Amino acid sequence: MTNTSTLIAARPADRGPPAWTRWLDLGDRALAVVLLAPAAILLALIIVYPVLRLGYTSFFSLSLTSGLPGEFVGLENYSLMLEDPVFWETTWNTVLITLITVPGALLAGLALALLANLPFGVQWPVRLSLLIPWALPLSFAGLIFAWFFHSEYGVVNDVLNRMGFEGIIWFNSPNWAFAAICLTIIWKTSSFMALIILAGLQTIPRSLYEAADVDGAGRIRQFFEITLPLLKPSIVVALIFRTITALQTFDIPYMMTGGGPGTSTATLAMYIHQNTVSFLDLGYGSALAVVMFALSMCVTAVYLRAIRTKE
Amino acid sequence: MNIRFMAAALAAASMLGSITPAFADTELKIFVSSQHQPDVWRKVLDKYEAANPGVKVAIETGGNTSEAQAQYLNTVMSAKDPNLDILMLDVIRPAQYAAAGWTSSFEGKDMSVYLPAYVEANTVDGKIVALPAFADAMFLYYRKDLLDKYGIAPPKTWEELAAATKKIAEGEKNPELQGLSFQGKAIEGAVCTFLLPYWSQGKNLVENGKLTFDHDAAVTALKLWKDFVDTGVAKKNIAEVATDDTRKEFQAGSAAFAVNWSYAWTHFQGAESVVAGKVGVTRLPALGGGEQASCLGGWEWGVSAYSTHQEEAKKLVEYLTSEDVSVFMAANGSLLPTYAAAYKNSEVLKAVPWFADALQVVETAKSRPVTPRYNEVSEVIRTTVNAVLAGVTTPEDGASQIEARLKRILR
Repeated sequence: MTNTSTLIAARPADRGPPAWTRWLDLGDRALAVVLLAPAAILLALIIVYPVLRLGYTSFFSLSLTSGLPGEFVGLENYSLMLEDPVFWETTWNTVLITLITVPGALLAGLALALLANLPFGVQWPVRLSLLIPWALPLSFAGLIFAWFFHSEYGVVNDVLNRMGFEGIIWFNSPNWAFAAICLTIIWKTSSFMALIILAGLQTIPRSLYEAADVDGAGRIRQFFEITLPLLKPSIVVALIFRTITALQTFDIPYMMTGGGPGTSTATLAMYIHQNTVSFLDLGYGSALAVVMFALSMCVTAVYLRAIRTKE
Repeated sequence: MNIRFMAAALAAASMLGSITPAFADTELKIFVSSQHQPDVWRKVLDKYEAANPGVKVAIETGGNTSEAQAQYLNTVMSAKDPNLDILMLDVIRPAQYAAAGWTSSFEGKDMSVYLPAYVEANTVDGKIVALPAFADAMFLYYRKDLLDKYGIAPPKTWEELAAATKKIAEGEKNPELQGLSFQGKAIEGAVCTFLLPYWSQGKNLVENGKLTFDHDAAVTALKLWKDFVDTGVAKKNIAEVATDDTRKEFQAGSAAFAVNWSYAWTHFQGAESVVAGKVGVTRLPALGGGEQASCLGGWEWGVSAYSTHQEEAKKLVEYLTSEDVSVFMAANGSLLPTYAAAYKNSEVLKAVPWFADALQVVETAKSRPVTPRYNEVSEVIRTTVNAVLAGVTTPEDGASQIEARLKRILR
């Protein structure tokens, strides 16, 4: 801005600016529109259009294995869904995974962040070990933990055996398989929570703790009166991201159990993938995806509302 | 930039552009399933390239199971991607490809040269969807040394097999040695796991496109496997075992019997095998009083409907499905031939002597249901088998679930 104004000032007063620089004179509002347009168009192309298209497809009976052209069926895909036991089972599994792994990752992440924020002499090993699980692709984490929990060759059962317990056939039982998946997800995602919370921790002024020390507040009191309230914005941001990714859980159970035994650990995202990619039933798959989209939107709305009332 | 230079460069480029196509080879891309000897197929393709100057063939592989490959190809084909010209398809897929219109049909092709099972598998609604690459079926592999040691003949029924494993286990006292390894994981192999004892009772799943589900036969079939787990014939975590796990376990000497496809044979005789020279192979047992049944496998060559080289691709597929190539792949890659005469070919029998007995198995093997919605049928059966073996569902409930869900798919 300063550059343009000096340029304009330096120009001889009798000659106006060249015509091609006219756009520089746009009002603030128009300029904002021009500058935001590329991002808005990009978002419309890669997010808004596909989502609308998804909703449109969900009203069609469109299955590539039928050999028939798509046919408008209104809400039939949605009514099929209500009667589909696998839809309910996978949705319930998804909600359960969210309810277990989001608080789990929050607690683990908070603990890790506090640990990483301690005044160690050398901080990079701690930070690096925080980054590695976060940087690891989800499917790799799933594969690695599938081996950890393997009943014969896995390290988990080996440790149990050495401690004198009998090994567990983890993926033979819905409950143990579910537990193994949740543990893996918490391990994989707590470092992301920790990174965001750590950033929040570092913005808390040291002077607050010094003042609390002077006032005679103990460590625990300081944590609940200073650290936690000031961390709230970071925690809410971390929770929004974590909850949405938890609702979309796919990679880890897909790699670890493939949804088994039976369909007892399959998630909604896996069921969508199965219907679209394996069964090529694009209509039904789209309807399922619309439900998942709506679920994610609801959760985001709840969080956003929670932040607004806080302010 | 200098305008004259740019013009000269453009002119040069357009000249090059107009000249190169005359010299360019036709490049065909062929998808080969990675578990079926892509390196041996490469030798066949090299021969074809040498005999047909101007054609170059590149192999693409991906995914290590039939399901993973099917998912990949589903994505490629539903995007109408012209990149792949020729696809190797599992025998269960032609109906789906025909319904989706993903392959070009071979009109006027004389199919009578192939084994009848593959004529049937590749003909959908009178159209020839693909041509057979090689045959396959499930076999019973057994440890010849152990059977000889305990004076046991290769079992003809599953009951005899159970008794044999008991005798071997009592004699060997080796906790690492399983009786029988089969597929309990929710993968394609588990569909055959269910169908083997079901078929053995003389029942079919689908006849003339209609579901002919026999509830009692299904309960008996599921119960057979569950009892094997409960009585220690198979190991407790059999629900974790996929096709290649069975192969590895038997190859490592940790199973007396194994149910597997023909590809396992080469591995058992390989340098990494501790059972080389000690392996016998025979027909799968029957359920007491029933017939011996096997599951028909095999893979097919289809030409993508989106390929821009239709003629060249079809010509190559004709070559790949010729008797010469079938014999070559049998002798060099241990893939079962699709021509009856090839099973008596001296070159083949020298390399894989047991193929002499394999023809009967392939000829009597049964097909999994032929339907465009096969993926859904497969998913219902394999997840239920998996749930029953893990003890999550009883054989009775499992059979009812399969029936209810198949009724919805094959209505």
